[in-house]
Amino acid sequence: MKNGIGRIATATFTYGFLGLMAFLSIFPFIWMVLGASNSSIDIIKGRILPGEAFTANVGKFFTTVNVPLVFWNSAKVAIFATVLTLAVSSLAGYGFEMFRSRHRERVYRAMLLTLMIPFAALMIPLFIMMGKAGLINTHIAVVLPSIGSAFVIFYFRQSTKAFPSELRDAAKVDGLKEWQIFLFIYVPVMRSTYAAAFIIVFMTAWNNYLWPLIVLQSNETKTITLVISSLASAYYPDYGVVMVGTILATLPTLAVFFFMQRQFVQGMLGSVK
Amino acid sequence: MSELQLSDVRKSYGGFEVIKGVDLDIRSGEFVVFVGPSGCGKSTLLRMIAGLEDITSGDLTIDDVLMNDVDPSKRGIAMVFQSYALYPHMTVRENMGFALRFAGVPKAEIEKRVSEAAGILELGPLLDRKPKQLSGGQRQRVAIGRAIVRHPKIFLFDEPLSNLDAELRVHMRIEIARLHKQLAATIIYVTHDQVEAMTLADKIVVMRGGVVEQVGSPLDLYDDPANLFVAGFIGSPKMNFLKGVIEAADGRTYARLPDYGDARIPVNARAAPETRVTIGIRPEHFNDQGSASLDLTIDMLEHLGGETFAYARHGNGELVVIETKNGRGLKAGERIAARFDPACALVFDADGKRLR
Ligand SMILES: Nc1ncnc2c1ncn2[C@@H]1O[C@H](COP(=O)(O)OP(=O)(O)OP(=O)(O)O)[C@@H](O)[C@H]1O
Ligand SMILES: [Mg+2]
Repeated sequence: MKNGIGRIATATFTYGFLGLMAFLSIFPFIWMVLGASNSSIDIIKGRILPGEAFTANVGKFFTTVNVPLVFWNSAKVAIFATVLTLAVSSLAGYGFEMFRSRHRERVYRAMLLTLMIPFAALMIPLFIMMGKAGLINTHIAVVLPSIGSAFVIFYFRQSTKAFPSELRDAAKVDGLKEWQIFLFIYVPVMRSTYAAAFIIVFMTAWNNYLWPLIVLQSNETKTITLVISSLASAYYPDYGVVMVGTILATLPTLAVFFFMQRQFVQGMLGSVK
Repeated sequence: MSELQLSDVRKSYGGFEVIKGVDLDIRSGEFVVFVGPSGCGKSTLLRMIAGLEDITSGDLTIDDVLMNDVDPSKRGIAMVFQSYALYPHMTVRENMGFALRFAGVPKAEIEKRVSEAAGILELGPLLDRKPKQLSGGQRQRVAIGRAIVRHPKIFLFDEPLSNLDAELRVHMRIEIARLHKQLAATIIYVTHDQVEAMTLADKIVVMRGGVVEQVGSPLDLYDDPANLFVAGFIGSPKMNFLKGVIEAADGRTYARLPDYGDARIPVNARAAPETRVTIGIRPEHFNDQGSASLDLTIDMLEHLGGETFAYARHGNGELVVIETKNGRGLKAGERIAARFDPACALVFDADGKRLR
């Protein structure tokens, strides 16, 4: 039996800890929003109160950056990368789980091993490949390497284990070809898995920095992450303007997450119950 | 007329053979039940008929057309799965019409067939629900409805009732028997429930280890099993098996129970004296008018109200189950002489084959 004081102490500790963690998670957001309303000098001085420079910062951001073009670039890259990654990797995950073959597990494990290769080691060979293919400074070069994602394939294969094989049998008896089973049965049944994967892949693609930095060289092709970082690494960076850019860059991923939150949680728990 | 024919059908996974040469004829309109212990290959055989598993060797013909490599949807079969396998994202109506839509059947015809099937199965009020909003029994009926709308020549059922509770199972069993009459369809039905097999089947196929042990009507299998396995598998509680030995007397052959006095069972087949045999007596074949008797001590009693099961032991350790209508007065530890009619006892040789 716990006495009253013990219970209060436990509760205090629990809530204190949770509160601290919540604060740590949300602090960058608060700072980002507050920073956008302060001048660069105030931010450097460490001011964390709302200021008056918000409209000035926004105005300056819109005059220094070609906002529609940059967002269009980011959106194009993120959406193409997401749709293609989901299509290709879910097909691969489905294939790995549904079709028996002698070397299936060996191939699968080899594929998972590629998760351990850091991107830094792939960067240069990839760049040379893209150069030979004449794709440097195109969005295709940004999207291509991400499509066959070992992680997403792994995620789909794990989720497919919960997909009842009798559904596939029933569809075969009903006269569906394999691709029709995938399209008309598997995809709708697994939609919360797709939603969860969509959020993860979209965020990764939208926030992707290093690889676009290498292959995108002209201002016309640059994405929002590249533009913000170039603002921040200028000779005299204007942090207020950088914060405005960061807020704008955060909005789409926030929107995606809020709209698909429920499916995301379901997808993480498993599509088929 | 034979509608479906299997000749020397085999199936191997890798090097491992799970169906070891099955020959079977199924006539049009017949209700055929596959029974056998778990892992004996019932589902595999059914799935081979459906076209969901390749046939390693042998021929499968339906209406005299070789079906080995024909697409499942073109074999004239429909299948009802153990887990129902309803498409969760479609309504009952869409589930039932799905195959027809894919086959390019006109909308009006689909409507007609779906409402017809819904009528037969009393699914009318449920047509616009999703599977998730249905009870187990209702899902089962939808799964059957989905098969019916296709007007198949042959229905395949793989343990369709095993996910239902006892009461619903009895109800659906009767329902399926009624459907069989109403549709005059050929049905192949897999179960390991004896009662389902006995009550539904025109013909039972008893399987073990990928081999068909015996094919026959339920009562044929009960009265006249071909071997020890079938004798033990059909009937509940299980047939009692006792050690016996062949004996010749008065120019006739008998099987005797050496441990139990002078009970003798006539055997028509030729057998050398002193051969060891197994004698099978069903629990329900013990009765007071029998001319032979076994001396036993009651171990335990189960009173079911209408009848009593007495678990009785002999000095040699053999356990005998006796079913009796008037066993209320019996007591554990009591010695009894269990009487039976020798004509009802069955004799099996050392390999388990029946000696008739
Ligand atoms: N895909 C497979 N690969 C390898 N072996 C398999 C495969 N499917 C089934 N088997 C084997 O084939 C045998 C028959 O299986 P099957 O499912 O037909 O049995 P069953 O009679 O339906 O049993 P149950 O009553 O448990 O459903 C089993 O020994 C099983 O292990
Ligand atoms: Mg089975």
